[in-house]
Amino acid sequence: MASPISWHATLAVSLGLLLAGCASVTPERAFEASAAAAQARTGVDARLLRSDADRQALQAEIDTLLQAPLTQDAAVRIAALNHPGLQATYWEAGIAQADVAQAARLRNPGFGFSRMDGGGNRETERSVSIDLAGLLTMPLRQRMAARRLDETTLRVAAAIEHHVNATRRAWIEAVAARQALTYARQVADAADASSALMARMTQAGNASALDLARESAFHAEAGAGVLRADREANAAREHLTRQLGLWGKQALYKLPERLPDLPAAPAELAGIERTALSQRLDVQAARAAASGTAADLGLTRTTRFVNVLDLGYADKRETGEPKSDGYEIGLELPLFDWGGARVARAEAVYMQSLGQVAAVAVNARSEARAGYLGYRASYDVARHYRDQVIPLRKQIADETLLRYNGMLASPFELLADAREQAGAVHATIEALKDFWLAQVDLETAIGMRLPAPSPTDKKDTPQ
Amino acid sequence: MTNRRSFLTGAGAGITALGASLVSRAGAASLPEAPTHTSSATAAPLAPTGGRPYNPVVTLNGWTLPWRMKDGVKEFHLVAEPVVREFAPGMQANLWGYNGQSPGPTIEVVEGDRVRIFVTNRLPEHTSVHWHGQLLPCGMDGVTGLTQPGIQPGKTFVYEFVARHAGTFMYHPHADEMQQMAMGMMGFWVTHPKNPRQHAVDRDYVMLLSSYDIEPGSYTPRTNTMLDFNLWTINSRVFPGLDPMVARLGDKVRIRVGNLTMTNHPIHLHGHRFEVAGTDGGWVPKSARWPEVTTDVAVGQMRAIEFVADAPGDWAFHCHKSHHTMNAMGHDVPTLIGVDHQGVAEKINKLVPGYMVMGDKGGSMGDMKMPLPANTLPMMSGDGPFGNLEMGGMFTVLKVREGLKRGDYGDPGWYRHPAGTVAREWTGDGAEALPPAPRAPDARPAPAPAGQAMDARKPGAKDMTGHEHH
Ligand SMILES: [Cu+2]
Repeated sequence: MASPISWHATLAVSLGLLLAGCASVTPERAFEASAAAAQARTGVDARLLRSDADRQALQAEIDTLLQAPLTQDAAVRIAALNHPGLQATYWEAGIAQADVAQAARLRNPGFGFSRMDGGGNRETERSVSIDLAGLLTMPLRQRMAARRLDETTLRVAAAIEHHVNATRRAWIEAVAARQALTYARQVADAADASSALMARMTQAGNASALDLARESAFHAEAGAGVLRADREANAAREHLTRQLGLWGKQALYKLPERLPDLPAAPAELAGIERTALSQRLDVQAARAAASGTAADLGLTRTTRFVNVLDLGYADKRETGEPKSDGYEIGLELPLFDWGGARVARAEAVYMQSLGQVAAVAVNARSEARAGYLGYRASYDVARHYRDQVIPLRKQIADETLLRYNGMLASPFELLADAREQAGAVHATIEALKDFWLAQVDLETAIGMRLPAPSPTDKKDTPQ
Repeated sequence: MTNRRSFLTGAGAGITALGASLVSRAGAASLPEAPTHTSSATAAPLAPTGGRPYNPVVTLNGWTLPWRMKDGVKEFHLVAEPVVREFAPGMQANLWGYNGQSPGPTIEVVEGDRVRIFVTNRLPEHTSVHWHGQLLPCGMDGVTGLTQPGIQPGKTFVYEFVARHAGTFMYHPHADEMQQMAMGMMGFWVTHPKNPRQHAVDRDYVMLLSSYDIEPGSYTPRTNTMLDFNLWTINSRVFPGLDPMVARLGDKVRIRVGNLTMTNHPIHLHGHRFEVAGTDGGWVPKSARWPEVTTDVAVGQMRAIEFVADAPGDWAFHCHKSHHTMNAMGHDVPTLIGVDHQGVAEKINKLVPGYMVMGDKGGSMGDMKMPLPANTLPMMSGDGPFGNLEMGGMFTVLKVREGLKRGDYGDPGWYRHPAGTVAREWTGDGAEALPPAPRAPDARPAPAPAGQAMDARKPGAKDMTGHEHH
């Protein structure tokens, strides 16, 4: 679990390596820090593929996962391990790691020997040259490389997190589009039954060509609806396939028939802004950058600490509300004793970085709030469809059937109702999709996964 | 104060008559009691307890209003109020009526009686009572705004006049008429002749025709419907909720039918010939009557038909408009006769679980007992001795039996036909025994069920030229 101190730890490790005078060249070391940070935020294990054996093992694992309809967790796992672009990103950590090691080494000393003969003189010169500049700048280079490694570690973790969340979204979109296609087909079936019955009625002499044309026109439009839904389902699935990095036979994976049911209750989250500030990788990156700036400028003598959030952040208090909990957390950076004019530029650069941290933090807080409100609101909408709209639609269908039983309504009314019902189910699917997407957005905004939902109370969306 | 009188038990259709109670509901001591009736079964005829004698009538699935005599005046008390009326077992309607029922109780008086009727209004709006067909002082005619102010809610008005001529009448509001009559406000009125032997019959049935539009699943009529009613009732009752009319073989029977719907009703009786003996204008001279089996009762009219019940059996009595002998039906349901559902039915069933093909062979639902919306009667029903009667609305049965007691109105059960007198399936000895069934000249075979459309198009150009020069 990455905490605000993790980058300190990373720095400390780097410093230790520097003092030791040699650095590791194993790329896994750096990548594991990234993977750990991503794991804490997404629940997904990323892995570096180094050999054919690794790759074959992964393919076997993917084949196993693809046996069953692809769950969201399986999709995310495949994406994190298999996506070639993401794998390429993983190696950035390795490169940065190697740079750190390189920075700890000097160029090999040079040996020179020269003899000049001329005018009876002979001059012989021997020299040993050492890379003095390299020696002098080595601590600086090492520090720079270590900072780049830290930045890269965070960037790779962020790339994993971003890809994982994008894959979750793609999975939700693909499953919802598939479900929508099923219902579009149901509407078309109702239209088909309706026009087939009207055709029989026309044959029997009970209906006119106009009646038949009307029913057939609806049937034709319902057919267009299926084609559209099919196109959307294909596009959404292809997007997911790209996220997974699959091709060939593996791209023929099966998707579940429907989205997961709505949880019994939405997650109750306290202190989402605090969570966002402590968890989000962009906040951590901004802080690390500011600290790095201080180090680069040789600022050491701290006079006091400043809460970065106070910079340009108006204290918004609402009557009766407790003070925003953002202040409770120590998003603080040191302020230095500036002294002479010589460091005026250093001060400006440092203050600029403080401002950037504040901007990122304020943004993160707002996104966390918006994410949570969106999540709760879309839960309410989806629940409204499940508990109000769908039961009413069901009741309408039941009552219409009773009227058909009493010859008070025609089969066409039954079929028209089936069409309308499918429309409501379609809206229900959309609402459920919006909820699951809002959950991913919230997780992205606070930088961590929500606690596992309590088991659903089994109020199924109808088939 | 509660008085109890015993009422006949209507044994038919499983209906049990409850004792009607006479409940004092009038506030002032000087008002006569306003009896109320809790049952929709046929009450026994109410024999006169005072005043001039007469032969009381039987209100089918209804009752007669008791009165009191005060200083030589017959005093009645009608209470206009919301009621719940059972149309048939399984269906109740929120109506407006009088003294607990719709239609209101029948009022019976004798020619020459001075009559005083108190009318208490317990409706949420004003009302009045028009004494349809009576010859009375103009100010007693009950037309709101024209002859009197409306009776406001909570108020009691008194009407007083002499029943000048014998005959058959009705009463109904003449205030917000369309709404109040669409809600069931009406009642029957009989003025008996001074001489009880004049026009005397053995059984005298009275009924009012009314119509309602009650959406399946609901309880209250849609009062703004003008034409498209879905429940056609006799005394706010529909078959199979209507009691049978019972007669002893050889009885002289009168049936008086008043029409307060918005359309005419050709009333038809099976197995007998009758004469129209009276209208709301009075009695028809014997020399002016002619035999009928159906008589049309126009809107706002009264017809009294008379016949001798000389044919034993169970005889249908009904309005001859076939949609008036049905209960609620879907007026927009298309005709499915002859439509082959093969393949389509499966498709529909997939979408609408519980779907069952109906109507492809006609409108009969046979013995299917399908679940229906709440408070909704089957369109055509009634269990007869030979199966489903497939009737509803304005339909009941005249049961003529030998040896019934006078005054016995109980349902004698289904008729036992003498051997060999019931239509039966032909099971003869081979086709030769059947007489030939010649076909009409130029008869064409019906089109194949799934074949071409019937040749009912405009004559083709060829035919046109063929006939042009004839
Ligand atoms: Cu009729």
